[in-house]
Amino acid sequence: MDDGAAITGQDGQQGAAWHYDGRSATRHAVRVAPTGEGFTLSGDGVFSGPHRWSDIAALDGTRGRSVYGLNGLAGWRLIFEGPPPEAFAVHLPLPARYGRWVDRFGLTRAAIGFTAIAAGFVALVLSAPSWIAPFVPRSVENRLGDAMIGDFGGRFCRTAAGRTALDRLATHLGAEAAGVRSVEVANIPMVNAVAMPGGRIMIFDGLLKQAKSADEVAGVLAHEIGHVRHRDTMAALIRQLGLSMVLGGLDGNVGALVSGALSLSYGRDAERAADVYAIDALRTAAISPDPIAAFFDRLGGGKGGEKLERATGWISSHPVSADRKAAFQNSKQRGKTYGPALSDADWAAIRGMCRADPKGAKASGFSW
Amino acid sequence: MDADRPSASRFTGRWQDYAPIAFTNLLLMIVTLGIYRFWATTRTRKYLWANTHFIDESLEWTGTGVELLVGFLMALVFFGIPFFFLQFGAQALALQGHAAIAGLLGIAAFLVLLMLAGVARFRALRYRLSRSWWHGIRGGSDDNGIAYGFSWLWKSIVGALPLWLLIPWSMTSLWNDRWERMSFGSQTFRSEAQAGPIYKRFLLFYLLPFVIAAGAVGVAGLFASGFLRRDMDVTAAIGAILVLIVAVIGIYILLGLIALAYYAAFLREAIGNLSLGEIQFQFGAKTVQWLKLFLGDVLLVVVTLGFGALFLSYRHWKFFVTHLEATGEVSLSALGQSRTREPGQGEGLLDAFDLGAL
Repeated sequence: MDDGAAITGQDGQQGAAWHYDGRSATRHAVRVAPTGEGFTLSGDGVFSGPHRWSDIAALDGTRGRSVYGLNGLAGWRLIFEGPPPEAFAVHLPLPARYGRWVDRFGLTRAAIGFTAIAAGFVALVLSAPSWIAPFVPRSVENRLGDAMIGDFGGRFCRTAAGRTALDRLATHLGAEAAGVRSVEVANIPMVNAVAMPGGRIMIFDGLLKQAKSADEVAGVLAHEIGHVRHRDTMAALIRQLGLSMVLGGLDGNVGALVSGALSLSYGRDAERAADVYAIDALRTAAISPDPIAAFFDRLGGGKGGEKLERATGWISSHPVSADRKAAFQNSKQRGKTYGPALSDADWAAIRGMCRADPKGAKASGFSW
Repeated sequence: MDADRPSASRFTGRWQDYAPIAFTNLLLMIVTLGIYRFWATTRTRKYLWANTHFIDESLEWTGTGVELLVGFLMALVFFGIPFFFLQFGAQALALQGHAAIAGLLGIAAFLVLLMLAGVARFRALRYRLSRSWWHGIRGGSDDNGIAYGFSWLWKSIVGALPLWLLIPWSMTSLWNDRWERMSFGSQTFRSEAQAGPIYKRFLLFYLLPFVIAAGAVGVAGLFASGFLRRDMDVTAAIGAILVLIVAVIGIYILLGLIALAYYAAFLREAIGNLSLGEIQFQFGAKTVQWLKLFLGDVLLVVVTLGFGALFLSYRHWKFFVTHLEATGEVSLSALGQSRTREPGQGEGLLDAFDLGAL
């Protein structure tokens, strides 16, 4: 059907081969003649060479044919049907197969080596945020946190009495020394509390409603202060940033950041460390650890708490284990007198913040 | 396919030969946390191209894994990271109550993204042609694809605006735009696809609401005739629910079939009006064959518990090659080498889209 394709080969003849010169599509039947350091090609009006062996590259993936290219001249091809003549092959490297690195070590050894490197890499990626985070200056984290959260779209409930009471509780629990910059109540009906980047802690109104006493809130707050103290939020942010870059999990819906923050998981060690801080802070503030242990029971015990609540609430990111509860219970000292975390008036002021603040209450229609 | 008829384009691969490539690719991808993907793609293409016989010679793929990796990294740096921060910023703005600015930012980002999707398509084709050789000659394009990106942007929007009625026009016109800027060797492709011939198929989409309405009327009729009564027994109720389920599934299947029929017609029209020098291309796959390919894919993946997915690119390439036809004459001596610039890196941008990154 076309002129050039009508040329027939000279199969079986030693040294006979096809050649494309890389300038036109014409196929040439050529004879390969060795010279001292290489070879020349000649046939039906073409002559190519002399070429040095070192300039020839073996190409792969060619259906049993042997195809060679010439370095520096794209499209130049020398093709033998079947294996190349022995006098030719001895001078040439084998074609690449899996890629240079794998070919060098062999498939099995390369696979084992890559597995080891991959395992090390995963371990590094998982652990890196927690040792990088302390090196991020607080001021950077603060600015980042402010930019991310701002005034949370006006969903914070604020009253003077509530503010005073919250600050008093936070100060009791060592918030300032831990780097906490604000504790706010958000008008969101979820049983949750989160530490956000920039030393900002949010307690959701739903948690205040669910709590039976200020002591329970104190326990939760102390735990979150622990996260701020240990820079866990920064570590989680770095981890999330890193993961979303690595996994390309850039998902465009607004509010993903918040839900992301809610689901920020700090890891088991960080949770245990935050508990240790909380136990210590409660002891210093002379607040009994029993109520928070009871709170765990109530939220995670299976009875009571609805499914949805457990899936979205504090308990989902802070799973209750027997160990955790026991740690709090065992921290109780015999003979020590524990006072209430807040006066009844203060506790009422905090609980009433979202009812009293019309601005925060207005935002209650915000749907999650 | 009809084995007796000499075909301009033949596939000579065997899945048994491809299997070692597929499985070692999988192994190496797992142990390198996916980074080997670029080399895996390269090995697969080398095999597929080498087993694609066009007229009297196999194709050859000369792309490398490094090129694909570099392309991917460039897409990540110049495109992924800015968008990541843009999105980050938009969320922060929305949270701080500047919803309008966030919205505008979002729309701007969407438009840029749409345009880049066009550029990505163009560049992927350009890269693939520049790495595809036949008779020691390669393809390519000297166009950077930016103009095509704008063309893609406005034609996609205009095509969708009037109830999607102009989609066939935008698809064929963009196909022409793309291919007329491509060349193989010293010759430029000519593409003269028309929207007219595929409109009938496309209008089937608009028939569907009427079919659904008719179905609804039918169900209402069943109600009226007493087939569905309030006091009917359990078996009759189950029967009625089944009818409804079948109807809903039927709508989806119908939608899928129409899409398949339309796409089959589109590719026949698009490739059937593509030519290079004296060669005229044709694509013979009919809807039934597309359906078989699709059902075969599903069956393969399900029966092999997912491992069959390794062979999907093989199947699709084989499908494409066996249905590709070409007529006319090739003047080999007149087909000179391509003088287009070789792009330095692979289809990174398109890769970014394939990943579903945005």
